[in-house]
Amino acid sequence: MSPAADRYASRADTLIFLGCVALAVAAMSAPDAWRDPIAQGLRQTVLAPFLALQQQTDLLSAARARYDAVVAQRDSAALAATFLPELRSENVRLRSLLGLGAHLGWGYVPAEVLHQPEPTNPLMFVVSAGRKDGVRPLSGVVSPEGLVGIVATVDRQTSVVMSWAHPEFRASAIAADGSVVGIVAPHGAAGPGVWLLELQGVPYRQQVADGTVILTSGLGGVFPRGIPIGTVVGLAGEATGWERTYLVRPAVHPAVLSHVMILTAGRADIRGAFQADSVAP
Amino acid sequence: MRKSDRYRYLIILAGLVVLEFTVRDRLGDKRIAPDFLLLALLIYTIRAQPGRSALAGFVVGLLRDALTPTSFGAGALAHTLVGYLSSWAKAVFFAENVFVNGCLFFAGTWFRNLAVALASGGLDRTQLGWELLVWSPLQSFTTAATGVLLLWLFGRALAMRPGGSEV
Repeated sequence: MSPAADRYASRADTLIFLGCVALAVAAMSAPDAWRDPIAQGLRQTVLAPFLALQQQTDLLSAARARYDAVVAQRDSAALAATFLPELRSENVRLRSLLGLGAHLGWGYVPAEVLHQPEPTNPLMFVVSAGRKDGVRPLSGVVSPEGLVGIVATVDRQTSVVMSWAHPEFRASAIAADGSVVGIVAPHGAAGPGVWLLELQGVPYRQQVADGTVILTSGLGGVFPRGIPIGTVVGLAGEATGWERTYLVRPAVHPAVLSHVMILTAGRADIRGAFQADSVAP
Repeated sequence: MRKSDRYRYLIILAGLVVLEFTVRDRLGDKRIAPDFLLLALLIYTIRAQPGRSALAGFVVGLLRDALTPTSFGAGALAHTLVGYLSSWAKAVFFAENVFVNGCLFFAGTWFRNLAVALASGGLDRTQLGWELLVWSPLQSFTTAATGVLLLWLFGRALAMRPGGSEV
C-alpha cells in the first residue's frame, strides 16, 4: 500500500474491510439452513418497505396496462355498435325472407342484390341469380314486404331487374277485398311523387278508401295473384265521367333491398305466402 | 459543507434506492439498465472513508443477496470490495472531476459484476465472456451516464469530500 493510501485508509478501515470480507465469505460458505433464515429475515424487515413499494409500482403499471386495454375494447365496441342498427335491420330482413321462403315452399330462387340501386336511381338493379338458376325474363321479383319488380334481362349467372319505379313498369292490380281492379304504374319519374305508384283505370263510380291494400290480380299471367303492391293514400286525379286514379304507397322501396326472391314457377295464387301485416294500411 | 447540501445528499441517495425498486424494472432489459443501488453506494464512497464504504458495500450486497438467495454472500463480497476499493482509489489517485467520477462509476459497476460472476460461480466460460464483454460494459455505461447526470445536476451536494474541494 502506498504512503498516500495509508493516509486515507487507516488501520481501522482495513480491519473493517477485512471483517466484511470475512463475513461475506462466511455467508457464501454457510449451509442453506443458515442462509435462508437470514435472507428471509432481511426480506421481512429491512427490505419489506422496498418490496412493498415495488409491488405497488407493479400494480400501478398493470392497472395502467389494463386501463389501456379496456379503453381499446371500449373503442372497438363503440365502433362495432355504429354498425349494429344496420346489422339488425339486415337480420330482420333475412329472417323475413326465410319466412317468405317457408310460406312459398317451392318455385322461387333467392338472390342477392349485387348492384344496389341508389336512392336517386332505383329503376334497375342486378341480382345474383341467372339462367342457370332457372330465372327467365318477366319473372316476378318479390321481397317479404311485397312486389319489387320484374326480371328484364337474364344472363347466365345474373339478372337485371326492372323495379316498380321504372316508367315502363305495369302490373295488373286488385284491392285486397276484391272490390276494385286496375293497373298499377309509377306515378312519375321526377318530383315528390316519384316514389309513389298510381292505380289507374278505376271506374268512376267506384270509390277506393285510403288505406286499402292493393295486390297483384294475376291477370295477364306475369305475376301470380296476391303479391302486395302497396296501400292507397289518396286520389291522384280523375277523368270526368270515365275513371279515377289513386295514389298508392309502395310496399317496398328497392333502395333498401339486400336480398330478393325471384318467382320461377307459373303459380297462379300466392296470397297465403305473404304476412298479413306486410303492407301497413 | 452547508447543511442544505447534507440534506440534499441524503435525499438523493434515498431517491436512488427508491428508483431501484420502482423505476428500474421499467427501463427494459435488467442486464443493461442502470444499477441505482450500486450508484448510490459509489456516490457514497466518494465522500466516505474506505472502512465505512466497505461496511456500506457489505450491507448493500447482503440486502441484494437476500433478494437472490442462490448466490448468497457473493453480492456482499463484491460490493464490499467495490466500496472499499472505490473509496480508497478515489482518495489516493482520482481528482475531483465529473469525467473521472464517471469512469469510477463505470469501473465500479464492471468490477462488481465481475466479482459477483466469479464469486457465485454460476456461469460457464461462454456466459462469463458475454457477461463481462457485452452486458456488463453496457450496464456500466448506463450506470455511469446516470451518475454523471446526477453529478452534473447536484454536483456540489454529491461529490464533495469533507474538507475537500467542489467538483
